[in-house]
Amino acid sequence: MTIARKQFNKPSFILDKKLKQRLDDIATPLGTILVLLLIWQLLTMILPTDLPGPIKVVQETWVLILYPFFDFGGTNKGLFWQVLSSLQRVAIGYSFAAVVGIGLGILVGLNKRLSKGLDPIFNILRTVPPLAWVPIALAALKQNQPAALFVIFITAIWPILINTAVGVRQIPQDFNNVAQVLQLPRTEYFFKILIPSALPYIFTGLRIAIGLSWLAIIAAEIVMSGIVGIGFFIWNAYQNSQISEIIVSLVYIGLVGWLLDSLMAWVQTLILPQSQR
Amino acid sequence: MGADLDFAAEPAIIISLSTISLNIGIPRNIGIPLNIVITDLRPVLFFIRQSIMTSFVTVESLEKTFSLENGGQYVALKGIDLQIQKGEFISLIGHSGCGKSTLLNMVAGLDLPTDGLVMLQGEEILRPGPDRMVVFQNYSLLPWMTVRQNIALAVNNVLSNLSVAERNEIIERNIDLVGLRHAVDKPPDQLSGGMKQRVAIARALATRPKLLLLDEPFGALDALTRGNLQEQLMKICEESHITAIMVTHDVDEALLLSDRIVMLTNGPQSKIGQIMDVDLPRPRKRMEVINHPNYYSYRSEIIYFLNQQKQIKKLRARKTTAIARHGLEKINLEIGFVPLTAAAPVVIAKEKGFFEHHGLDAVNLVRESSWRGIQDGIAGSYLDAAQMPSGMPVWLTAGGLNGEPLPVVSALTMTRNGNAITLDKRFYEQGIITLADLRRMLLESRDRQHTFGAVHPASMHNLLLRYWLAAGGIDPNKDVTVSTIPPAQMVANLEAGNIDGYCIGEPWNVRAAIDNIGYTIATDLEIWDGHPGKVLGVREDWANAYPNTHIALVKALLEACAYCANPANQEEVRMILSRPEYLDCEMEYIDLGDGSHNTCGLHPSPREYAHHQFFGAGVNRPSRTEHLWIMTQLARWGEVPFPRNWVEILERICKVSVFSIAARELELDISYSRGPIHFFDGTTFTADDPIAYLNHLQIKHDIYMADVPLKAPGIQAA
Repeated sequence: MTIARKQFNKPSFILDKKLKQRLDDIATPLGTILVLLLIWQLLTMILPTDLPGPIKVVQETWVLILYPFFDFGGTNKGLFWQVLSSLQRVAIGYSFAAVVGIGLGILVGLNKRLSKGLDPIFNILRTVPPLAWVPIALAALKQNQPAALFVIFITAIWPILINTAVGVRQIPQDFNNVAQVLQLPRTEYFFKILIPSALPYIFTGLRIAIGLSWLAIIAAEIVMSGIVGIGFFIWNAYQNSQISEIIVSLVYIGLVGWLLDSLMAWVQTLILPQSQR
Repeated sequence: MGADLDFAAEPAIIISLSTISLNIGIPRNIGIPLNIVITDLRPVLFFIRQSIMTSFVTVESLEKTFSLENGGQYVALKGIDLQIQKGEFISLIGHSGCGKSTLLNMVAGLDLPTDGLVMLQGEEILRPGPDRMVVFQNYSLLPWMTVRQNIALAVNNVLSNLSVAERNEIIERNIDLVGLRHAVDKPPDQLSGGMKQRVAIARALATRPKLLLLDEPFGALDALTRGNLQEQLMKICEESHITAIMVTHDVDEALLLSDRIVMLTNGPQSKIGQIMDVDLPRPRKRMEVINHPNYYSYRSEIIYFLNQQKQIKKLRARKTTAIARHGLEKINLEIGFVPLTAAAPVVIAKEKGFFEHHGLDAVNLVRESSWRGIQDGIAGSYLDAAQMPSGMPVWLTAGGLNGEPLPVVSALTMTRNGNAITLDKRFYEQGIITLADLRRMLLESRDRQHTFGAVHPASMHNLLLRYWLAAGGIDPNKDVTVSTIPPAQMVANLEAGNIDGYCIGEPWNVRAAIDNIGYTIATDLEIWDGHPGKVLGVREDWANAYPNTHIALVKALLEACAYCANPANQEEVRMILSRPEYLDCEMEYIDLGDGSHNTCGLHPSPREYAHHQFFGAGVNRPSRTEHLWIMTQLARWGEVPFPRNWVEILERICKVSVFSIAARELELDISYSRGPIHFFDGTTFTADDPIAYLNHLQIKHDIYMADVPLKAPGIQAA
């Protein structure tokens, strides 16, 4: 009897523990957020400020939160569409940056002279903030849409390029020796040794770049009037003193950024073998 | 390869060869054998040409220099010459940083020599290629590929001329060869170290390389896996007749796998210090090979070499400048000794202050575990003086060490007797108690190789043992094997059954008897009573540079000899000798000859114990007749040629004058009477006509006579 009961109890106990653990994982951040919201609310009640408290924000943006999919033409669209069109821009700019960055990075990584010549230039351009590129992009390309794409491209390319170059340069001598002893042809070396070996570095670059390009799109859109996008949406809201709308958009931006990063991390685990993660 | 071994087994030609190479074809100094005269050198020359032509891999005066960060240069390798025959397995062994991997990389073509060249089948190696496949130290498997893909990458690229089906067949066969069928679709991360190395080996073998290069292939594996893999590799190499070069620092691994072991000296400017032929029968088994009688002598040879390399910096530092004091040219002396009962005079002179008494204030005793250490210490001038086996001065002077005469003098005989021949206990059980019994047993068991141990080619033990065997009608070069084993390893080798017996100084005979491992079949009392055991040896240039120091040294040791010989001091001497810094053994093993021990009690009629004689009338005076007899015996067994200028050599070895001055100043009675030497077989030896004596001996090696060109007596540069 005792034995049977013990056997029965044991798994349920483990299940309990797991569930508890899971609950704890969710409850703790939720609790923290609630506390922070409370503090925010209290602060807005105490301090003389135009900034709305959380309750007021929800009240004022109830429509926006409930109906993200409405579309009244022009720039008057739901938050979902705003975010989506921003994401589209990011996707285009980022893809260009990835292709060009990885390609150039491999070249620079393989060629010592090229690397010596370009390294300082990369290091200078890399630190230029995305907003600083906006006027140049507008002056060069005249139109809002391509200029926004360019800003994303130019922001995202550096981490990809530099990390790829490092990855190529850091191919373990062992692998190069194997290639040399086997006298692998160039293409074979490229696809069987170089790319797989540099892949972890490339992915690190890609993951940093996606965060940066999301940052850049907001900055770019804010100064580019008349386009659909979450950045301009914020700017527009500010012009109309709709602070609550801005706050909701910020939440959206943060959530999307987080999602994008998680997505890259997930792709990384799919592609890279265990040892290279 | 086969021809090469036969060639090495014929020492008669070897002597001629070294002479030829020295004189570039003009055999001016060539030894004229007493029995065989080589008139036709053509076959020899043909062979030399042949061996150069057939060599598979040739490394010629190779040098490798690396540029340092600070702009300097580091010469890693210099003057490397190596020839490897097809099908040979070569190991490169040496300490870390000696450049063995660099050398391997240059054969692989991954690195290019700064000077000299590496050739494979007569073609210079300039770049890496699949004909020289490398098994890397850390496996170098591509982690993004499975086991099969890794092997396939190599096979598909190297053997691209074959059809897909053929290639797949090769891939699958090699996977099975290393037993990885079950892991074939796993990536390397999921494999253990041993499995990864098996993949690397399979990848290398699958490409059918002409030459397999292994860079510490088993270094990172646990002992069990390593052993299994070694056997697998050996089997594969033997079956497919693969030529291989392996870098390793594991002595047993090198011995198990190799045909030859190339030992590299420590950097900078590493070079080949020694090449050892490993003549162990194949196929070899890991557990069986260690029981081969030669195994331990090979092993101790390599370990000696490696230890020597480790100490080389220390040894160089030891060569301090001479400090003169008390009217002596040098009072800081390094004196070498081997821990034996016979070392008593040296030890006592240090412990009882006889050195200081004679003004030698800073004497340091250097304990060497083998006579090779003494030999190299004297040759390299790291030692000022040393306790030597009595044959060593003649052996060194006559060119026993690498054929280069090194004049060494002796002014003092420190001990006489104290040696005996011990046989394995099982022979006692077979009733072998006389030399005649031994001969009968040897004749009856010709199918079995019998091996005896001696401590050094130049030691009196070796000469006595051989004389004793030969007197009984046993040819020590043909009927048995005499191999060199350091004293301290002798008993262990006897116990393990690696050797059948040995001739050695105490305490090792007593020890075998007490431990019930062996028994004394003959003591020196029965072979040559009163033979010189250990002598004091110094380099001639040293003796000339520090004449007063030499006399003081002899005086101190002579007093110590007298002290040891006094029965009243026996307990004290034994106690001092047994201390860890000297013999490091129980006092009961150390016997100074009081006869109280019935040490040969195994025998039905106990032999008298081999007394050491440390002091007495005629005991300590160096004797030309004795050194001459040693000279005849060394020539008799082919260790050195018999010098035509033997009179000159004897004059220079035997420093009677130094002994006489020392003895006179100590006011000792130096009277002596010495007639011919009497041996147990009834023969006598006088210094009148050594050549006639040699000719009259029945059992002997081919004997050569040669001029031994000694440099004019010089003075050692301080």
